[in-house]
Amino acid sequence: MVSPYCTIGPFFPASFVEGHDDLTHYRGGVARGQHIVLSGRILQEGGVPTRNTILEIWQPDASGIFRHSSDPRCSDADPGFAGWGRARTDAEGWYRIRTVLPGSYAAEDGSPRCPHANLMILAIGLTRRLVTTVFFADNPDSVRDPVLDCITDPTARKRLFATREGPESYRFDLVLRGENETPFFLD
Amino acid sequence: MPAPRIDYQPYDDRTQLARYIDRYPLSFTRTPSAPLIARPLTLSERTGPAELDQRFDVGPMDLSRLAADAPRATGQLIQISGRIADEDGSPISGAVIEIWQANSAGKYIHDADRHPAPIDPNFTGEGRLITDAEGRYQFFSIKPGAYPVLESGWWWRPPHIHFSILGRSWMDRFVTQIFFPGEPLNETDLLLNAVPDRDVRERLIFEFEGTSMGEVNAMGFRRDFVMRGRRRTPALD
Repeated sequence: MVSPYCTIGPFFPASFVEGHDDLTHYRGGVARGQHIVLSGRILQEGGVPTRNTILEIWQPDASGIFRHSSDPRCSDADPGFAGWGRARTDAEGWYRIRTVLPGSYAAEDGSPRCPHANLMILAIGLTRRLVTTVFFADNPDSVRDPVLDCITDPTARKRLFATREGPESYRFDLVLRGENETPFFLD
Repeated sequence: MPAPRIDYQPYDDRTQLARYIDRYPLSFTRTPSAPLIARPLTLSERTGPAELDQRFDVGPMDLSRLAADAPRATGQLIQISGRIADEDGSPISGAVIEIWQANSAGKYIHDADRHPAPIDPNFTGEGRLITDAEGRYQFFSIKPGAYPVLESGWWWRPPHIHFSILGRSWMDRFVTQIFFPGEPLNETDLLLNAVPDRDVRERLIFEFEGTSMGEVNAMGFRRDFVMRGRRRTPALD
C-alpha cells in the first residue's frame, strides 16, 4: 500500500530552501538559453496571500532536454542548468525563481510540446501537494499540447500561461482556490 | 540504457488523508474547489531531479549533536530507520530524505514558530541523507516534544518527524509526517486522524524496534515507505 502523504506544515527549514531558487547555475556552469525570472503570487480564497509556502519546479533546459535517464537525449542535457528548484513565498505571497525559458521537444506522437515547467505547491492546509504546469507561448489560443488539452474550459486554459512582462521576466500567479482559480492536475 | 518504464497511478484516496479536515481552517481556503484534472503522464512528469548526491549537501545523519565531539542535545536519543521501495517492492536507492523536527521541548528553529519553548543550542532538528543500494536510511536524533498550535486555541501536535523524499522522478516527490507509537495526543491530532482507515493510519506511525545498549544507547524506531510506481511489463510497451 502506498504511503500516506501529509502536509508540509509551517516549519520547513529555511536552510532546505536557500540556494535552490536559481536554476541557471549548476555545478560551476552557466545555463544556455534565455535566462528569465519567473515570479508571481500564490493566493488562497479571497485573494489572500499564502505566505510561507513551498514551490518546486522541474523543467527541461533551453533545448527541451531533461537531465534524467528517461530522456533519450539526456546525455546532451545542458551541464550548466539545474532543471529543478525550490522557493518559499514571502509575507505577500510572492515567489521568485531564476531559470531559463524552457525549450520545446517532440511528444511521443512526434508533435511539439509547448514549452512548459512543472510546478508543485506544498503548504499548511494542503494534506497533499498540488501540481500544475506553467506554459510559455506568445499566442496561447493556438497552442496544442497533450497536457494543456486536458483542460477544456478556454478561460481556465489561459490561466496556465505565464505572462511575459519583459524579455527576461515572466509572471505566473497561482490561485489555490476562489475566483480565477488555477487549474490543478490529478496526482 | 534508458530507465525502465514505470507506471504511476493517481493516489488512491483510501490510502491518504482527507483533503478537508474539520477544525483545520486552511484546508478549506486552500484546497482547490474545482475537480483536479486528469492528464496523461508525459516525459515531463516521468522525469525529475536526478544526480541527487550532486545537488544536495548530505548530512547531518546524527541530529543529536552538532559535531561528533559536541555535546548531545537534551532529550531521549533515538535511532530512526527504514527502507523506501516502490509498489513492486523494488528498493529506491539514491533517493534524498530530508527530515525536520521540533526539539525535545517542542520548539522548531523557524521564523514561523511562536511557541515560547526554549531553543536547544545543541540541536537544529534538520537532517538529510541519500538512501543506500537497498533503499535504506538511518538517522540518530532526539525524540521531538509535543507543542501547541497557538492559532487553534486547543490543538496540541503529538511528537512527530517530518519527511521529505525526492525519488526517481517528479511523480515520486513525497512529503509526510511520522508519529510515535503510544502517544496520548495521537488520539486527538487532526492530521493523523484525517486518515479514516486504521491500517492506513499505522503507516504514519513508527514501529518501536527496541533498545540498543553499548557504544550507542538509543531507542529504535522504524518506518518504511512505499512510493507509487510499478514497472511496466514488456508486453505493454
